[in-house]
Amino acid sequence: MFYLHLRNELWKLFGKKRTYIGFGAFILAQTVMLLAFRFTRWQEDLTRLLAGNGYLAEEYVSALTVSVIMLIPQVLLLMPLYAALVGGDLVAKEAEDGTLRMILSRPISRFRLLLAKWCAGTVFSMVLVLSLGGTALLLAWFWFPWRGMFVFAPGMVFNVLPAGEGLRLYVCSHLLMAVNASVILGLAFMFSCFNMKPAAATILALSYLFVNLVMEGIPFFDRYQEWFLPHHFRVWLLVYEDPTPWHRLLSSLVVLLAANVTTFLIGLAGFQARDIKS
Amino acid sequence: MIELEHVFKKFGPRLVVEDLMLHVPAGEIYGLLGHNGAGKSTAIGMMLGQVWPTSGEVRICGFEVSSQRGKALSKVGAIFESPCFYDYLSGRRNLEILSSYTRPTSPARMREVIEWVGLAGRENSKVRTYSHGMRARLALAQALLPQPELLILDEPSDGLDPEGIHEMRQTILRLHRELGLTILLSSHLLSEVEQLCTRIAVLNQGRKVFEGSLAETRQRQNWVLLKVADFEPTVHALKGAGLIADARDGRFVALSPGVGTDQIVNFVVERKTPLYEIAREEETLEDFYLSLMNSGRSPTGGLTKK
Repeated sequence: MFYLHLRNELWKLFGKKRTYIGFGAFILAQTVMLLAFRFTRWQEDLTRLLAGNGYLAEEYVSALTVSVIMLIPQVLLLMPLYAALVGGDLVAKEAEDGTLRMILSRPISRFRLLLAKWCAGTVFSMVLVLSLGGTALLLAWFWFPWRGMFVFAPGMVFNVLPAGEGLRLYVCSHLLMAVNASVILGLAFMFSCFNMKPAAATILALSYLFVNLVMEGIPFFDRYQEWFLPHHFRVWLLVYEDPTPWHRLLSSLVVLLAANVTTFLIGLAGFQARDIKS
Repeated sequence: MIELEHVFKKFGPRLVVEDLMLHVPAGEIYGLLGHNGAGKSTAIGMMLGQVWPTSGEVRICGFEVSSQRGKALSKVGAIFESPCFYDYLSGRRNLEILSSYTRPTSPARMREVIEWVGLAGRENSKVRTYSHGMRARLALAQALLPQPELLILDEPSDGLDPEGIHEMRQTILRLHRELGLTILLSSHLLSEVEQLCTRIAVLNQGRKVFEGSLAETRQRQNWVLLKVADFEPTVHALKGAGLIADARDGRFVALSPGVGTDQIVNFVVERKTPLYEIAREEETLEDFYLSLMNSGRSPTGGLTKK
């Protein structure tokens, strides 16, 4: 039965045009970034950085390197936006449209309904992130050769890798990014379980993340970094570090999973107590 | 089939349902009447486990809705005013989705219900292309798919044209006749309730102000049409005998409590006064409803019957 309910949620989610806005926006942004990388000084700056550190730039200005470069702004800006948009819709849009009342006249428990919705949201997060990574790599491959990978994030990662190892880590980093997306979606989902408009749930989730990001950047809060979600969201970049910081990686992963469970439980408590009226 | 015992519901400080007692026996078409905000939809919400009662018990098919929701609603179908669907999906997909929340439905059952409601041939079209009437049929189909024994209809004719209202009315009667369903109908349309329901309850400001059969609503007044050769002397004699309390319009008399029309007939005939006609004056449901609303919730109005 749960499979049926999950299937229902996936039908509903992927049957809507607005679900695909995120995918379209990613492809557009990636194309623009590729053009910018190809035809502006962006590529020269990268070549200079590699040469300055004693590497042959021709070996590392590749499809994999460009894909990772393109990922950073998308992961910071677009992914949270679209994950929150879909998460905010999951319950609140159904309540707004009146279909939630139709569902809740049936003998399904609120917990089961929410669990099916949350699982569908997690599937969406995975698909969104894997598409993001897949299209980035494919588009970059049209313009750049398949060679070694160079990853650079100021203050975090500086690494060069052979193509095979780079691709393996690229896939791993996307799995971790999918966890990030599911946390963001879960946050918006939690708000949407309360009596509010879908847009309000999305805005609240994004505001919460923005406040986290701002506070994390204030020197006073340095010692409380572990309390801010963006600190743990950077887990996807850690996989490129050599050696892999397993302790930091696993602890961040546990925090993100715990955040997911917490937002689900808060949402469930709110939804359970709520009266559903037309 | 439906039992509400001392149910109260508050939204914040506002009391919207007050000490509601309701018993809908199996096999009835039961009407729930009341103005906007009288508490009908809240009461229905509580029956379907969508609204939590502040206190009291709500039982459907013998099961408490709050604690045994699955069992209570397993044989219930519901239709709400302006039924809402996933407009971007087909009618069939909507039915598959909604029915699966009760139990999976076989393709044969799906086909049977689609044909029964008259949607055959359009079930694969997107719901956004459906007319009001087709949406109403789809709503009916989703309610019937799990083979319910109880159908809860909250303003089912809302937004339909006169032809659609007529069709909905005929469908409700057909459901009751052919499938033997118990039906709870909440409606503003007094004529609809009058034509369909066997029993009604009237809500006013969250309180039940009347519950009884439709026949009772027609005969609550004691006015009797009395056509005799000499009205005034006959009235004088009837009053003297304590059989009537009042008279009006030269043809109506109000019977004294406990007096039947047979006693009036005997009295008049014994006086050898020619008697042409005697009949109880029947109120329309509209008259009855308006008189209930006007008398409000006064306990002395004699209208509250729990």
